[in-house]
Amino acid sequence: MKIIKNGRGQYVIIAILMIAIMIISIGALMHRAVTYYRHEPWEEYLALIGNIELNSKRLVELSLANYSRTLNQSILKTNLEKWKTDIQSTYIGKGITLNYELANNSYNVYGTIIKYSSGLNCSWLQRKSFTAANATFTLDITSIGLTGYKFTALTFLNLTILSVSGRIINATVKAEYKMPVVGLTKENFQVRFGNTVIPILSTRSCYDTKEGIIYTIECAQNISTPIILEVSDSRGIKVIAQYT
Amino acid sequence: MRIVEVIIASFIIMFALSFANMLAVTPTSPKYEVTELEKMGYNVLFDLDKRGILANFVYNKQWNDLQAALRVLLPLDVYFNLTVCYLNGTEVNEIPIFYGNRETFTSSKNVASVTYCLCGYFNSTINNADYDPRILILQLVRG
Repeated sequence: MKIIKNGRGQYVIIAILMIAIMIISIGALMHRAVTYYRHEPWEEYLALIGNIELNSKRLVELSLANYSRTLNQSILKTNLEKWKTDIQSTYIGKGITLNYELANNSYNVYGTIIKYSSGLNCSWLQRKSFTAANATFTLDITSIGLTGYKFTALTFLNLTILSVSGRIINATVKAEYKMPVVGLTKENFQVRFGNTVIPILSTRSCYDTKEGIIYTIECAQNISTPIILEVSDSRGIKVIAQYT
Repeated sequence: MRIVEVIIASFIIMFALSFANMLAVTPTSPKYEVTELEKMGYNVLFDLDKRGILANFVYNKQWNDLQAALRVLLPLDVYFNLTVCYLNGTEVNEIPIFYGNRETFTSSKNVASVTYCLCGYFNSTINNADYDPRILILQLVRG
């Protein structure tokens, strides 16, 4: 009888042991499932894609600033060609290919018909004047299997002279999505009558429900038409408008 | 005899526990350390660039401000060494943009390197809007 009892006791211990191992194993599995570190390799490349996208858009702005100062129609194409090559050599081994397409047709941009040539266009010396650029990029990164990632860089600056009376010019400056440009000072504006530059005393801005932000430019002398108003925003993009 | 079995059982349990712990891959594992630092470095540079601060610091050669910005945005235990270069590889920054212990960069096995490209910057004082790229190489290591 004692031998039988001893034998049962050993079986019980072995069984408890096995159950304990099973519980620990399940516990370990549960712990891993709960604390599993989700590693997304894609996340490492998001900032890289962001870097290329952001700086491609910046380059379009920079090229437009250059175009508005030099009227060099090929500047955007030249800059983007260099950027395309430099990106490939900088991120060598990642398999980056950046292609671009410059707008060459008429587009309706925020209610304004713009006829682009080599991705650039300006319509100046009007009451409503603008400077615009448009380029579409396609990004491939073969090392992560990304192909055909498209983004468009549309840069736009509009200057509208609302009224001219006495020494005062009222004007609006709008960027992309018809967003009013804020923070412009008298250094951003220039008033001309023919070739004569008229000094600006002060620039104020006020909010208008219809136009957004209206800039009131006070000149040092009374203005006679036709008057030319020039604006240059923080990106360096220039627009010249005329009020007759 | 049963005491011996209990001791053996305890050993088996201890072994199972340590084995389970060995298998677990935690976020601080060296396997992920470099990619984590790379991700952090890219995000910090991209964040500064998106706010328009990075190009301003780099093109106006405000190296101390750039160093301060990186120190604020990166965790205290992450050491960095930033080099700003022209496309041909010539260094732009005369003074080192550095934080931490230099020996850590040579002794550590997990040094992450991030390359970031800037296309240019409109300089309002000289009215320059030319394509003028800069390459930023940010090395990161955990101290």
